[in-house]
Amino acid sequence: MLWCCIYLPLLPIELREPRDAIALAIVDQHGSRRRLIACNEIAREAGLHNGMDATTALGRLPSLQLIKRSQAQERHALKALAAWSQQFSGMVSIDHERWMIWIEIGASLTYFHGMKALAQKISSGIDALGYSAMTGIAPTPEAAALLARHAHTQPIQQLTAIKFSIAALPLSLLAVSPIIIEALHGVGWKQVGDIMEVPFDQLARRFGPAMTKYLHQLLGELPDPRVLYRVPASYHRHFELSATVDAIEALLFPLRRMLGELQGYLRARDTALQQLKLTLIHENKSSTILEVRTTAPQRDAQSLLVLLRETLERTTLPTVVVALTLTVDQFVSLGDTQLDFFTESKSRDQSWSALLDKLRARLGEQSIKRLGLNDHHLPEKAWCKLCNETKQQEQDDDTLPQRPLWLIEPKLLQTLPRLLGKPERIESGWWTGEDSRRDYYIAETQEGARWWLYRDAHSQQWYLHGLWA
Amino acid sequence: MQRAEVIANLLRTTPDLWSGHAVAATRSRSTGFTELNALLPGHGWPLSSLIELIPLMAGIGELSLLLPVLRKIGSEARDIVFVCPPHVPYPPALAHAGLPLNRIIWIDAKNDVDARWSAEQTLREGMAGAVLLWSDTIKDIALRRLQLAAREGESLLFLYRSSLLLNTPSPATVRLALQPQSGALRVDVIKARGGKIASARLHFHQAT
Repeated sequence: MLWCCIYLPLLPIELREPRDAIALAIVDQHGSRRRLIACNEIAREAGLHNGMDATTALGRLPSLQLIKRSQAQERHALKALAAWSQQFSGMVSIDHERWMIWIEIGASLTYFHGMKALAQKISSGIDALGYSAMTGIAPTPEAAALLARHAHTQPIQQLTAIKFSIAALPLSLLAVSPIIIEALHGVGWKQVGDIMEVPFDQLARRFGPAMTKYLHQLLGELPDPRVLYRVPASYHRHFELSATVDAIEALLFPLRRMLGELQGYLRARDTALQQLKLTLIHENKSSTILEVRTTAPQRDAQSLLVLLRETLERTTLPTVVVALTLTVDQFVSLGDTQLDFFTESKSRDQSWSALLDKLRARLGEQSIKRLGLNDHHLPEKAWCKLCNETKQQEQDDDTLPQRPLWLIEPKLLQTLPRLLGKPERIESGWWTGEDSRRDYYIAETQEGARWWLYRDAHSQQWYLHGLWA
Repeated sequence: MQRAEVIANLLRTTPDLWSGHAVAATRSRSTGFTELNALLPGHGWPLSSLIELIPLMAGIGELSLLLPVLRKIGSEARDIVFVCPPHVPYPPALAHAGLPLNRIIWIDAKNDVDARWSAEQTLREGMAGAVLLWSDTIKDIALRRLQLAAREGESLLFLYRSSLLLNTPSPATVRLALQPQSGALRVDVIKARGGKIASARLHFHQAT
């Protein structure tokens, strides 16, 4: 096994959008004390750091804005990232407390052209989702986590190499309680290697059995079974906005990330979507639901963002938005569209699909029509609109009578233009009860326009029905 | 007289003579009517340009005028896009005229802005064989935007406009006024960059 650990040290800060221009820190309540658990860049530059007491931090930087931690938000984000990670491997595990995700990459190395290429793909993917991640690769989850907590570490590939490779890392990176770290420092130990020299039963006596169990798992001497994250059958991503939003632009930041995660999820399941639902939740608990449909199966985040943006720009928000939910519950196979991507006709079809989707998103579902023929005698029923991409009937040109290019709603005529030629009798419906008998003529108006008109055999009245355009 | 002057003079005074330079620069598709080809820049409907068609009224052959080129486009399996036509483009008639229905896309928009936007998007995508747009915008900037979008693709762009706008200025490459004349369609070229200002009478052999 080879684990890639993704550590998101700034997770709670990076859940906010857009990036704040003021010093800001996320605080967590520990009994009566409030401690900083993440600081943004401006706060860090002012000398604030994690673990600092909130009161102390405010004393040093009075303009600092403190935000209460939302563990629910962190969970949503980590789950979405875990779903995204499954495109690289079926084995993914989450640690919500430590803001970490592990991906077992040992089985995927060949598929992704080796460890270096895969690690690069994972890092750039997370980067594109807007997270600053640190990664570590090692044969045990804890060793990978240890590496991830330290910048610029080399991957460890052999179990036997762990002990030696982590020896120089600071003790403080170990996943043990701060009290134990303090005690270890008190003894004068600074590096991981220092305690590796000490017999483990001696450590167990001083620091408890949990400590040595952890060390054994770190080195791969004890099994470290993980609860694996299972990809849900439908996709549901909830996102609480850090500030109320009334402008579409401000929704694009979280949407870009949400769609990026969705793309990873779709890749993981090797599937695609043809419709997705975005629910905008307003301050007063009401919601606005936007649905986007695509012509062809789709999973490209960029294209989906374009569509959602079109739809959003056409939407008037009744009131400010406080949260977003992205839902996909129907999936379609991507079919052969990917495989044939480079053949000319397919890529042309795909561009068309993308164009039609864009038009539909702005103009509405029903605005884009294709035309079809119906086997019916009445001219107004001899055709149909096709709003989806259903296969059209084969047409047989020879059997078609001559018809005007414009069909219009029958309009009662008071005065009759000059009739040309013989009438064409069109009858229909006596067998269904809607009895229609009409005599159709071509006529020419005084100005020179050509009309298609008919006399209704029952009422003897004249109607304009088409124009010879 | 210098040779260049002689040529310039001839070009100015002889109606049947035009500079091959202007014509060669224009890529076009045959209209299917010899009389009309002769009047247009590049001897046909110019590609990637704004072509304005101004029918005096509806029902005079304003669509039949395009049937030959649309048939050609359909036979090449390229799409024909109708944007906001004033009436139903009647499928039995289109099929009768030899247009493959599966190549026709009918776009309806609620307003003129959306209609022009749809046409622009389609033109930019560059895959439609022809875009037929009905719009009565008088904004010069809107027409220029269409012209620009047309230039980005390789499609034919036909803009149908009301006869009320016949005398308003337009940046179009070609402007044609259409009116009926004793059972035929009279096409007056009122503007043709690199073409000729003249008229042609076209017969569509429609049922009489």
